[in-house]
Amino acid sequence: MTSGPYNYSYIFKYIIIGDMGVGKSCLLHQFTEKKFMADCPHTIGVEFGTRIIEVAGQKIKLQIWDTAGQERFRAVTRSYYRGAAGALMVYDITRRSTYNHLSSWLTDTRNLTNPSTVIFLIGNKSDLDGQRDVTYEEAKQFADENGLMFVEASAKTGQNVEEAFLETAKKIYQSIQDGRLDLNAAESGVQHKPAAPGRPLAAPPAHRDNCAC
Amino acid sequence: MEDVLDEVVSSEDLQKFEQVFHEQLHKGNITHKAQFEYAWCLVRSKYPTDIRKGILLLKELFNSHPDGKRDYLFYLAIGNARIKEYNKALHYVKAFLEIEPANQQVLTLERQINKRMEKEGLLGMAVAGGAVLAIGGLVGLGIALASSKK
Repeated sequence: MTSGPYNYSYIFKYIIIGDMGVGKSCLLHQFTEKKFMADCPHTIGVEFGTRIIEVAGQKIKLQIWDTAGQERFRAVTRSYYRGAAGALMVYDITRRSTYNHLSSWLTDTRNLTNPSTVIFLIGNKSDLDGQRDVTYEEAKQFADENGLMFVEASAKTGQNVEEAFLETAKKIYQSIQDGRLDLNAAESGVQHKPAAPGRPLAAPPAHRDNCAC
Repeated sequence: MEDVLDEVVSSEDLQKFEQVFHEQLHKGNITHKAQFEYAWCLVRSKYPTDIRKGILLLKELFNSHPDGKRDYLFYLAIGNARIKEYNKALHYVKAFLEIEPANQQVLTLERQINKRMEKEGLLGMAVAGGAVLAIGGLVGLGIALASSKK
């Protein structure tokens, strides 16, 4: 019997943040449904999505909180930052103002998450290269200066969308392996599920003490 | 945690937004923003009394502040679903979809409410079925005991 889709070893919590209209919900939708949502209305409050992925042979469930970009939701959506293992910070490559606001989003993220939270910068709408208002090089430099991972992506074509979500998970998983992320910390944003129900139990370790040899 | 209906507000958040609301209440000048933020926390509380209070605040906003109608309808649906007033919740969902028929966020909420209604209907039957089995078992045991005493 193979393990079903409901068996996973870890849960990682993500948040998606950024200005209104940069395509946060479309990125989430593209990642969870593999479809582009045209004419996406403004999100109310927060939206929630999940998907199970695999990193280094381990199944990981991503619990993703997609926050509304409109200012009137900002006070309450701040509480969703707490305990996020990954933060996807999104701007629109065709609207400079959404890029200029990144430092304020970054300050919020740094203040409200923990030092091990992985922050991934996404320049969305890469399919609209003709209307570009922010160069790749400039954003890359901003990302490097602030220690962020970075790609340009398109929720419309799906380009680099998988990569952004998966690379974030790989980095988080790496932090666990290196011991930089403490699984027992209340707000690490990671839950370990050592014995998921319905999962065949691993063979008990051999008892060396009882070994007569 | 499987969907938005499972999500519970932290007590610090509830207290924080409650305090702002009460300060404004004492000054006699409540802003839409403070009332909405407090109501948004209340409908995510684990206590039904809080949720009901949140629903009242949202209804008040719905009638007094047309600009935020879609937000208020959405959280009225969530609040009602969380106290298992599913028909009321679906009523708000329908009102929303009349304005924005293709809104994925609200269509998802509608599916989640339907799923809960279905699940709880089945669960109710399962509990009743279990009780019948238990009573049957007791009667059987009684008969067995009575006959063994003879």
